[in-house]
Amino acid sequence: MYSAEHNGNSDRSGHWEAQLRKGCLEMAILASLWHSRLYGLEVLRALSEKSQLEIAEGTLYPILSRLKAEGLLQSEWVEAEAGHPRKYYWLTPAGRRRAREMAVAWSEFSTNLSALMLPILGVKQR
Amino acid sequence: MTNPVSFSAEPLADAQMEGYLSRLESALRGLSAEEKGDILLEIRSHIADSVAPAQDRDAAAARVLRLLGDPKELAQRYKAERMLTRASRSFSPLLLLRTTWGWAKLGMKGMVAFFVALIGYGIALALTITIVLKPIMPSRVGVWWGRGDLNVGMVDHPERMHELLGQWYVPVMVVVAFGFAVGTTQALRWLIRQRTPKQMY
Repeated sequence: MYSAEHNGNSDRSGHWEAQLRKGCLEMAILASLWHSRLYGLEVLRALSEKSQLEIAEGTLYPILSRLKAEGLLQSEWVEAEAGHPRKYYWLTPAGRRRAREMAVAWSEFSTNLSALMLPILGVKQR
Repeated sequence: MTNPVSFSAEPLADAQMEGYLSRLESALRGLSAEEKGDILLEIRSHIADSVAPAQDRDAAAARVLRLLGDPKELAQRYKAERMLTRASRSFSPLLLLRTTWGWAKLGMKGMVAFFVALIGYGIALALTITIVLKPIMPSRVGVWWGRGDLNVGMVDHPERMHELLGQWYVPVMVVVAFGFAVGTTQALRWLIRQRTPKQMY
């Protein structure tokens, strides 16, 4: 997030895109935990590999902490072979519900907007 | 390099991490020992995991610490997140004021919330003071009308103005002050719940 925001070339569209990405963080983090329990670094990797969403670790951890305080996530320390414990997060039933609601809303939103955007990219519809 | 998690062979990476963690620890002051320990252990674990597979561990340590950001800022985010979550369920003006003050340091929307808190609770407090003063100085406290000017509370020259409420001053102002306090609280809770990650970061 910092690279997009502080690159100083005052690229307005770049800034706008950074804002859009940030707005989706909570949804993306919940979605990354849909299939399995992950620890912080794995959440970052999942976001970066599956959605090219590069977020700074300094942004991720406080959000995980809040999502847990809101009852959407649960966590547990697990001893790892690495020699230090790792904190794994998973979705609570409330978290799964929220993720599903967000997925539905997002998919409707993006489908509707795409219909508006595609002509700009020169894509013919139907 | 035989033990991938030992930092003893790489004193620089080790020193960087310990320095960062101790600065983070002092910046997290105010959280409970349990919360603090939990955060520090998680960040420590994250740094160790990021550094362990790297060829150049010093560079990897420098990189992950840069991505974690200034420890003070990181601590501020944790605190703001925690307080905002708590405050969005609270009715305590004191907690809401403290929380919006912390939030105000992070951006525009927080500043707006803080000023709403300051003005709303300020008016409620000022009215409460006049309610207490009314029985002590009944002839000077009131809602005064005169020369196209409306004054609530104490005026210097009551003889030049009309008092509108009389003995109704106390009950009416109790309702109005209470209304301001409750209205401000609801407005702040609403503002806090409306926040998105965009406004937090």
